[in-house]
Amino acid sequence: MAGKPKKFKIEPFKHPLKLDPNYADNTWQLLESAIHEINSHNASGLSFEELYRNAYNMVVNKYGDRLYRGLMETETAHLSKVAGRIEAAQGDGFLRALKAEWENHNKSVQMIRDILMYMDRIYVKHQNKATVHQLGLDLWRDVVVRNRRIRERLLSMLLDMVQRERQGDIVDKGLFRAMTQMLVDLGQPVYCEDFEAPFLERTSEFYRAEAAEYISSCDCPAYLAHAERRLAEEVERVAAYLDASTEAKVIKVVENELVSRQMRALADMENSGVVPMLQQDKYADLGRMYGLFRRVEGGLDLLRTTMGNHLKETGKALVMDPERQKEPVEWVQRLLQEKEKYDLLIARAFGSDKSFVAALNSAFEHFLNLNVRSPEYISLFMDDKLRKGLKGMSEDDIEVVLDKGIMLFRYLQEKDVFEKYYKQHLAKRLLHGRSSSEDAEQLLLTKLKTECGYQFTSKLETMFGDIKLSREKMADFKEYLRQRGTELAMDMSVQVLTSGMWPQTTASTTCNLPRELEQCSTEFAAYYLHANSGRRLTWQTGLGTADIKAVFGGGTRKHEIQCSTYQMAVLMLFNDAEALTYEDIEAATAIPEDDLKRVLQSLACVKGKAVLRKEPMSKDVRPGDRFSVNDAFTSKLYKVKIGMVTAQRENESEKAETREKVEEDRKPQIEAAIVRIMKSRKRLGHNELIGEVTRQLAARFLPQPQVIKKRIESLIDREFLERDSTDRSTYVYLA
Amino acid sequence: MAEKKAVKLISAEGFEFIVDHDAACVSNTIKNMLSSQGNFIENELGEIRFPEISTPVLEVVCKSFYFKLRYANTASKNIPEFKVAPEMALELLMAANYLDM
Repeated sequence: MAGKPKKFKIEPFKHPLKLDPNYADNTWQLLESAIHEINSHNASGLSFEELYRNAYNMVVNKYGDRLYRGLMETETAHLSKVAGRIEAAQGDGFLRALKAEWENHNKSVQMIRDILMYMDRIYVKHQNKATVHQLGLDLWRDVVVRNRRIRERLLSMLLDMVQRERQGDIVDKGLFRAMTQMLVDLGQPVYCEDFEAPFLERTSEFYRAEAAEYISSCDCPAYLAHAERRLAEEVERVAAYLDASTEAKVIKVVENELVSRQMRALADMENSGVVPMLQQDKYADLGRMYGLFRRVEGGLDLLRTTMGNHLKETGKALVMDPERQKEPVEWVQRLLQEKEKYDLLIARAFGSDKSFVAALNSAFEHFLNLNVRSPEYISLFMDDKLRKGLKGMSEDDIEVVLDKGIMLFRYLQEKDVFEKYYKQHLAKRLLHGRSSSEDAEQLLLTKLKTECGYQFTSKLETMFGDIKLSREKMADFKEYLRQRGTELAMDMSVQVLTSGMWPQTTASTTCNLPRELEQCSTEFAAYYLHANSGRRLTWQTGLGTADIKAVFGGGTRKHEIQCSTYQMAVLMLFNDAEALTYEDIEAATAIPEDDLKRVLQSLACVKGKAVLRKEPMSKDVRPGDRFSVNDAFTSKLYKVKIGMVTAQRENESEKAETREKVEEDRKPQIEAAIVRIMKSRKRLGHNELIGEVTRQLAARFLPQPQVIKKRIESLIDREFLERDSTDRSTYVYLA
Repeated sequence: MAEKKAVKLISAEGFEFIVDHDAACVSNTIKNMLSSQGNFIENELGEIRFPEISTPVLEVVCKSFYFKLRYANTASKNIPEFKVAPEMALELLMAANYLDM
């Protein structure tokens, strides 16, 4: 190729019609007639290639604009005619005509787009115009759907169909779906403006009227069921023939009309509102209400408050009921039933909603603390369970029962009062060996410890320790006696209690023991003090028990009598005497007067248990009464149990006494808290100090501000604190 | 998928090229012609006339259909060059634009 380089010439594209001035008009006419054919579904026989080539050439030769404008005009004119045809359709035919024309239009536009593909690709892109497809939609929207006469008719027919379906009619869902789909295809704004907004408004009106009607004619469960059904229907409706985006909106409207606006009326409905449903355990209906109310703002608050208030009211009635208070164990049992009922309710109807559980707890806390005797009753309940209730129960069952008790305990504000009672009851159980299961006792103790900490149970643990140690000591004592060859006149068991740890040891209750026992106690004292020098033994005969054998009916009837040490001391006197006066007995035993009267009463005045005879035969024991052995005593049982003092509801004076003790015990606790706080803060305002003290002591009890104030004053007197010289309401810690 | 029949492509001079439907559809224009709704004549007869494409160009176009079909979706890196005579390049470019391929 050297020498003769190949000439490479780029020739312009030869176009046959390049210079024809009428080229554009002619070509357009050809295309226009083809578009007409397509619009009238008569495309067969047209050559795609020819049409495409013509459109191509127009665009290539810069007649794109002409082509585009021509298309717009042709389509607009065509659609005006279509609109006219649709308008002419009568009745239901209108929607069907619209649907058919819409489908045809889509098909035609598709074909036009195909042949004008080159324009779409080049001209439209460069000029940033709407594509043929979009143009088809826009023109349809502007010329057909937004034609005033069509627009209004379409909307009213669609809304009418919805209305009819809501009233139970069957409507052509396919047709409806096609219409909504068309509106969505025309663009979300078209769907929203031309259909959705009026639809929502109509929905709101419809349900407002319906709610007003139902609320006055139905009871609450029926209304709820209806509302639930309506909501489900609307969801179905959206799925069946509306755009998915409408669901949330229409549901909100329905919720607002059917639930939000009516919920207060529903909750307070007489005979079927929240309170009656709670009373009648209507889990399903309450669950439905919960499901509906949770959908709307403030719904659950309303339901929760209504439940809480009802619970507080019924709880208060329960707690304060004087009849029920006569049986503390039953009383607690009843509360537990109530708690169980609501636990079940919340689990089954309210989906174990945490906020409802919290409301339940606060309601319980509220009413349980209304009754100042609640701590005592709960302790009595536990006492009852530990004494007899747990026999034959598995460990798990025991734990369940105890947990229930602990649960109520948790609601108590005055936990120290509970502790006081619990200690008393525990002492009685331990000393009289009445506890049915040591494991259960220990379990409960552990639970209390986890609830309130070591401090709370330390004394209780000492009590357990004393009992255990005493058992070992007794075995040791027997061994000691055996080694020394001493024999006791009777079997004796001694429990050595740490003084101060047991509630009963504060007041000394002692008596003269029968001489048979003197030997035993002296032996034991000798043994114990030998082993533990430096300690002091005090006999608490008021707390002991005794088993004695007795013969009645001239030696024909033998019985074993179980009684307290006091009772035993009195009975033993009759070994040496036929009859004794009250004064004789008092002198011989030195039992305190009140106790002695009760002892004698229990021995002589209880029907069926009267081992002594009293003259005169009256209910009361008075100085001067004479007692003798009731030789005619009979009993079917070999063992006779004589009324022992068991844990009973306290009488008024005892109650006051316990109360006083509690108040007394609180003083050092409050003072300790004040000093602790002031030591770390150095200076603190009065209100802050009160608040801080209350917070610190909340786990044990709720101190009254006046009481705290008194303690502060006492501390100032003792120069732990002083008032700030400038600001009298501020305290300063004195190191 | 039912086997699509072959398509006949006719050049300006009247030469006929018979190519597989799949190959012809490499061109979006041809694909549209054959799939468009409505009964355009091309779809009915299964042949398409190109009065503005000369025989040699159409021949290269047909070759390129198969070339593209063969290599368009291969991961292989040694795709051979598709050689085009320089004097035909412009016409071919225009045809390609027309055929949208």
